[in-house]
Amino acid sequence: MSNNFSRRDFLKLAGVGAATSAILTGCGPASRYVKREPYMLMPEYNYNGQSTYYATTCRECAAGCGLVVRTSQGRAIKAEGNANNPLNLGKTCARGQATLHGLYNPNRVRGPIKHKRGDRLYETAADPFEDEFKDADSNMNWDDATQTVADALKKYKPSEIAFLMGTTSDHLFDLVADLSTQTGITPPVRFGALSMFESRATLAKAAENLFGESGLPFFDVGGAQVVFSFGANFLETWLSPVSYTRGFAGLREAQKKQRGKLIQFESRMSSTAGKADEWIPIRPGTEALVALAIGRLALEMRGGPLPRAFSDIDPEDAASKSGIKIETLQKLAEMFANSTGALAIPGGAALGQSNGLAVAEAVLTLNAVADNFGKPGGVFFSALAPNQAMYQRPASVKEMQDFTKKLADGKIKVLFVHGVNPVFELPAVLEFKKALDGVEQVISFATFPDETALEADFVFPDHHGLESWGYQRVVTGSAQPVLSGSQPVVSPFYDTRATADVLIAAAQLAGGKFASALPFKDEVEFLQSKVAPLMSEADGFFSAPDINTFMAYFQQYGGWWKTTDARLVPTTADIFNRSLKATEAEFAGEGEFFFVPFVSPTIAEAGANKPWLQELPDPTTTVMWNTWVEINPVTAEELGLVDDDVVKIVSEAGELELPVYRYPAIRPDTIAIPFGQGHTAYGRYAEGRGVNPTDLLGGHFNEAGDLAFAGMKVKIEKTGKKQPLSRLESMMGVYGVGLGEEK
Amino acid sequence: MIRPEEIKMSTEETGKWGMVIDQDICTGCQACVAACAMENNITFVGEKDSGYGRSMHWIRIERFWEGEYPEVKMTPNQPMLCQQCGSATCEPVCPAFATVHSQAEQLNLQVYNRCVGTRYCANNCPYQVRSFNWRDYKRPEPLSNQFNPDVTVRRRGVMEKCTFCIQRIHKAQDTAKSEGREVVDGEFTTACAQACPASAITFGRVDDPESLVSQLARAHGHGVKHLEELGTLPNVTYFKGG
Repeated sequence: MSNNFSRRDFLKLAGVGAATSAILTGCGPASRYVKREPYMLMPEYNYNGQSTYYATTCRECAAGCGLVVRTSQGRAIKAEGNANNPLNLGKTCARGQATLHGLYNPNRVRGPIKHKRGDRLYETAADPFEDEFKDADSNMNWDDATQTVADALKKYKPSEIAFLMGTTSDHLFDLVADLSTQTGITPPVRFGALSMFESRATLAKAAENLFGESGLPFFDVGGAQVVFSFGANFLETWLSPVSYTRGFAGLREAQKKQRGKLIQFESRMSSTAGKADEWIPIRPGTEALVALAIGRLALEMRGGPLPRAFSDIDPEDAASKSGIKIETLQKLAEMFANSTGALAIPGGAALGQSNGLAVAEAVLTLNAVADNFGKPGGVFFSALAPNQAMYQRPASVKEMQDFTKKLADGKIKVLFVHGVNPVFELPAVLEFKKALDGVEQVISFATFPDETALEADFVFPDHHGLESWGYQRVVTGSAQPVLSGSQPVVSPFYDTRATADVLIAAAQLAGGKFASALPFKDEVEFLQSKVAPLMSEADGFFSAPDINTFMAYFQQYGGWWKTTDARLVPTTADIFNRSLKATEAEFAGEGEFFFVPFVSPTIAEAGANKPWLQELPDPTTTVMWNTWVEINPVTAEELGLVDDDVVKIVSEAGELELPVYRYPAIRPDTIAIPFGQGHTAYGRYAEGRGVNPTDLLGGHFNEAGDLAFAGMKVKIEKTGKKQPLSRLESMMGVYGVGLGEEK
Repeated sequence: MIRPEEIKMSTEETGKWGMVIDQDICTGCQACVAACAMENNITFVGEKDSGYGRSMHWIRIERFWEGEYPEVKMTPNQPMLCQQCGSATCEPVCPAFATVHSQAEQLNLQVYNRCVGTRYCANNCPYQVRSFNWRDYKRPEPLSNQFNPDVTVRRRGVMEKCTFCIQRIHKAQDTAKSEGREVVDGEFTTACAQACPASAITFGRVDDPESLVSQLARAHGHGVKHLEELGTLPNVTYFKGG
């Protein structure tokens, strides 16, 4: 890299300004922030009307896409993708774009609060768009807050101290993991609703069973010719949506000799399936049968002996059970067998069933028919991130159930919660909220007044991601190992404090092994200690002789990555010789309808408090600001239901009332509800809006410990009520509405 | 009075800035919609008003259904935004000259401080891409800190629409001018194109045959312009794909 920067290039590219000069001179953390100034006052490093750009990392999901945030007068005004970052190459999803509505959200926790469990953290007003909502005042100072954390660490036995963390940010997880190994406190547990709906544990477990090593598979959609996706909603929220969307664009690329095809197997047409060339409305629970049948038919077409993995399946039987015609299966098998680049992806709801592990293994084994392991357009193990020894997946719901039980039994005396909202995200049947009664002290580090913060004794708010230091490991989606770096792009808006700083200071106060476990001045020093080993690694995107320069580049480029492809090739010697279970899923509950909860592609797990995400129309239904239940129009007619009729959905675990959306692309025996709404707190734009489908989920698991969230059967009851849904699409003319032909 | 057969439709190729949108790879993810809102200080209107069709999307993703279950298909997602017509139907109906054609940039401008809110332009737009500020929608503190200083904030009673991010065009031109050069193709792009994870949207000079957008239009060869038969000379080309 050239050292001859013009000032303009320096400001634009570097995105450093005052922040880096502070690093280089080693000032305290306060001076590392960019100050927010009134528009009258111009910070000296800024020209009037000139923006400064900072590279950082998106924290709206765990993928770790790089951002470059445009700031003006110390205010963040636009988030764009970081074109250098190999994961997202300058692109962002809708949630990344709306991250500013989190930063500037009118309902944030404004300072440390001692709080009575259940008390509100902001005053509610009748109309979120007209009236004032007042945030709760901070009633502590940070010295007392830090002392509280220190006392909690000292007072209890290490085994009675637990951390529950979200899937971002990795640097804080590393800090707590270090604290745990050196002091004996319970190892930190990570969870996120997205990983639950992705069925990550099942995917990882299936890969381990088949390939004998642990890791997260990576599917090279962009290099494939034909993609068979069994429930993987990779264009929405699955694993790393921006990267997979780029892959999809590659699949379709017009310059290719042949336009690649996507075939999606799922009972409800997701927006991924909407893009597919063929949507196969498979009967829920028969995915394993279909995958194996396609494999067998494809191998038979090629001739030769039938391997053990595919010898037990009867394609005719699979066809009748799955509701797919045998001719269709044969046609698909032919397509799969004859393609030069066939790829099969298991994911999402297909794995979130009682036989999810068998589905994942069957679909992964289907790739053996295409012999695509480790080849372009095939299956890989994701590259490990630079400072990652092995893939660590977030906790499965089964593990969360065990953790919740520990809380309820009083085995944990103090619980620290960061970056996750288990009261909202975990299925109600786990009774996480009630389990907190067994914990003497709950300390939340929530940025927003979420449901879990409401149940805490103390809320010590962390900065928003755009005000924070840190890094995120890119666990999948890029060929190169990538560590995405975060830096504050604005000074903190409120009296918040970085949780890493709080923990470091509290560890010092607690003394003894705590102090020696975290011997750092502050978060930035800790960060440097973690990033420093990268200086000696080969093939870096940049290198530097000393840590200060290295850190300056790390901030400038938004992280560090290698220039080499480090995806691993799975070992598949024995893959054909395993016996695979051709089982159907079992469904819990009495009802007549299969129930498919899916993550809202626009709101996802934590977007409900961002008003522009609420106002984005759902890609398939165009509904905004609410939750709906999707019912096939024919079924709706049989039941005497029309759009906006409120129905009660009853499962073995609970019931919900919500309006009907007649969805033309769903099996008549299946209903679907998006996840993302139904908050009872979380700020004015989220609260009291829609329902949470996890309330319907029973505690059934697959063999990998993932929740069988798509393994329920439910009943529909009429209520006689109406609730109009806001939708972008006009209702006029749809099903004869407004034409005098309404049914 | 002019009889319909006497109306001469302009067929001359016009336009300077244009877009190509590849519907085959658009996934309908709404990233462009969010990016547009963030860049252009577009207000959100809330559940009730959005239900009345008052939401302020300058770009929206259309999808239609074909057939019935199980042979139902979703048509390729169609991002719909102001087509920056060369012969725009919105322009002649404005009594206040608020929606005028820019001679320099060949774009349809919306001059907010001239607009008196007759909504004739929205009525006359065959693409239905104009949105009207029915109220002064609240963006409570500190949401207003996010305002883009390069873009006006609109008030009640004013029509608004996609500008092809004219603030970005001007900024790129200013930068190029101060450096004594021409604007280079790909030097800047619109907010929607910049965000699009599938790179389905490409923006650039349609009057430059060497620009990426012109090259793409030629390479695909099957581009369509919507409602071209109306003689609006739209500057957005769609690839249906498939």
